[in-house]
Amino acid sequence: MAANPMYQFNVYRIGPEIKIGEIDLSFTNASLFMVISSLAILIIFNLGAQKKNIIPDKIQLLSELSYTFVSKMISDTAGSKAKPYFSFIFSLFMFVLFCNMFGMIPYSFTVTSHIIVTFVLAAFIFIGVTIIGFIKHGFGYLKLFVPSGVPAVLLPLIVVIEIISYLSRPISLSVRLFANMMAGHTMMKVFGGFVVSLGIVGGWLPLSFSVALTGLEILVAFLQAYVFAILTCIYLNDALNLHH
Amino acid sequence: MGKEQLKDRLKNARKKLKVEKENPQTSNIGQAFKLSTELVAAVLVGTIIGFILDNWFDTKPWLIIIFFFVGVVAGILNVIRSAKKLQN
Repeated sequence: MAANPMYQFNVYRIGPEIKIGEIDLSFTNASLFMVISSLAILIIFNLGAQKKNIIPDKIQLLSELSYTFVSKMISDTAGSKAKPYFSFIFSLFMFVLFCNMFGMIPYSFTVTSHIIVTFVLAAFIFIGVTIIGFIKHGFGYLKLFVPSGVPAVLLPLIVVIEIISYLSRPISLSVRLFANMMAGHTMMKVFGGFVVSLGIVGGWLPLSFSVALTGLEILVAFLQAYVFAILTCIYLNDALNLHH
Repeated sequence: MGKEQLKDRLKNARKKLKVEKENPQTSNIGQAFKLSTELVAAVLVGTIIGFILDNWFDTKPWLIIIFFFVGVVAGILNVIRSAKKLQN
């Protein structure tokens, strides 16, 4: 059972079954790891923000570095108008990053390897950005779908293409994170299975692959969190500064 | 720490910051990761829209075929746009 590379993605209930109407609200291992990552973020950044030394200790340095990293990312991609949304993007980036990183611990569960989790995140971003766009520009936001300088004959086709392109944003955002996390973790499990089945004679080659893959996966875990956050910034930029 | 020493260290730190700005490696890898799903997502959305409209208007299979190709066009457009952003 445990040799199945997909077994690690099983969601199971922890504790009593909670049902409200038809909806199953039981506490699962996925919820447990979301709680763990959120608590870890809260603890680290609360500790880091408590003391304000001129020469920072490790935990303060960590939180200050991540603050500058995210704030630089926002100002580079979305400009100064996006500053009010700093807290949202910061928590989004940290949540995805911590979920990915907690998934790298053996025997843990990777929350972001489930499409429903990433899709809910992406859908909230998509709806939020659309609402922000309509608040800032009114119905002028619909100009996003009508590029300038297009002949009138082609306009209906172009508008349909632009709408599909706009609607594909949450899909590409969520599928990218989910596919990367799931593919990586499955691959690690498969190579781990090879080590066991080839035994002490031939197991060294897949073992070395596993070690290399672990490094690669840590890079991917960070990179995907970064891409998720930076794409949110780009979408926000489209909503705030309306131009193509 | 003397004043001169501090000035030196500041200068070095500023120089480092400049070098980092000139070759932002991590962001390049991140952008490359982005391109692959861009195409697939638009095709998927186009096909789903075609499927829903087909059920709605009872015109199976025409709209799903048309919207599949529109989705492909939208996907290519997405990729070209991200590639242009990469160049800047």
